[in-house]
Amino acid sequence: MNAPRGTSPATEPDIRVWDPLLRATHWSFALLIPAMWWTAENSKWALHKRLGLVLLGILVFRVLWGFLGPQTARFASFVDGPRTVMAYLRGEWADAAARIGHSPLGGWSTVALIAAMLAQVGMGLFAGDPYDGMTGPLNPLVGVLTADTITELHETFFWVVAGLIGLHLAAITWYAAKGDDLLSPMVSGDRPPVAGVTGIGPLPWLRGLLALVLAAGFALWVAYGAPPLT
Amino acid sequence: MIRTLAPRLVVSAALVGLLAACSSEAPADAPTAAAEPAVIEERQDNFEAIGDAFKAVRGELEKGAPDFTLIASKASDINTRAAKIEGHFPAGTSVDDGFDTEALAAIWQKPDDFKAAAQKLVDESAKLASLAGEGDKAAVSAQAMTMGGACKGCHDNFRLDDKK
Repeated sequence: MNAPRGTSPATEPDIRVWDPLLRATHWSFALLIPAMWWTAENSKWALHKRLGLVLLGILVFRVLWGFLGPQTARFASFVDGPRTVMAYLRGEWADAAARIGHSPLGGWSTVALIAAMLAQVGMGLFAGDPYDGMTGPLNPLVGVLTADTITELHETFFWVVAGLIGLHLAAITWYAAKGDDLLSPMVSGDRPPVAGVTGIGPLPWLRGLLALVLAAGFALWVAYGAPPLT
Repeated sequence: MIRTLAPRLVVSAALVGLLAACSSEAPADAPTAAAEPAVIEERQDNFEAIGDAFKAVRGELEKGAPDFTLIASKASDINTRAAKIEGHFPAGTSVDDGFDTEALAAIWQKPDDFKAAAQKLVDESAKLASLAGEGDKAAVSAQAMTMGGACKGCHDNFRLDDKK
């Protein structure tokens, strides 16, 4: 049922490559980033702020999941050194047949996207002017001129995020044209079998719960202006 | 099944994204086809400059030794610009007229209140300009906040605000 037509008899089942929490995180970015752009363009600042805080929580979760999550979610498993990336680009990557999840180049693309989104959301927390509409929850922590500079940077930096997303979509399209389907696994979580690889196993839900609670708690703390905790 | 479909989905999603990007320059919500009166941009630039001048004032007051000459000149600039506000709102230029503006119809429904609110900024900015000459940081800070109250007071009643 899951095996594509025209392949060898489907004795080998598909293997799990992306866990459900990672996929939910990924697709929430695809929904939230356009929503953030739209709310900014249309001056829906209250919604912009609220969605931005949700995005902060999800980003923090993704970073925690990079340490607590299953193998393919972990930074340690997909952040490779320059030599590996160069070897991958030359088509001489030794692990090509045995690794599932991000490729050496895709891993850095993931890091860049997460870092850019974190920077953008982080700047938004300080943006605005209390005498002129909405402000981010951490705006009072910086001076008025600093906030002004951050606000302008926050506006400009969106195009860096958009550029990275464009690159991301172009790369997926390019791989799709080569016959390498990256989209379906990000939807279903499964990919065609790889010899000698068993996949990531069941979701470590307890660690998932821990990461979710920590991320939500952090976002909530920031939403209240990062008050002292003692 | 989904696997053979996916590359096509990716390509069509990319195309939709491109189309959306191309069309994003078009006005998003323009119920009327009428050209926007030039006064709308004029008053927006005026308010923008008032906001920048006020930011400069607050920026100075955050320093240990504020430049009171700069504060006085920014306050005078606000004063000059505040005097223009009343004339910047001809009838038919509210957000209800379909323009890209945050000017509420209340401006024309309560013209006296609006005029008084604009006059308040004129008065408070004049006070700030003269106080700045005396160089008392506490007094200047207090007056700057009072002037900020004049900005806010008018925004609360006459400007479309999305705070909730």
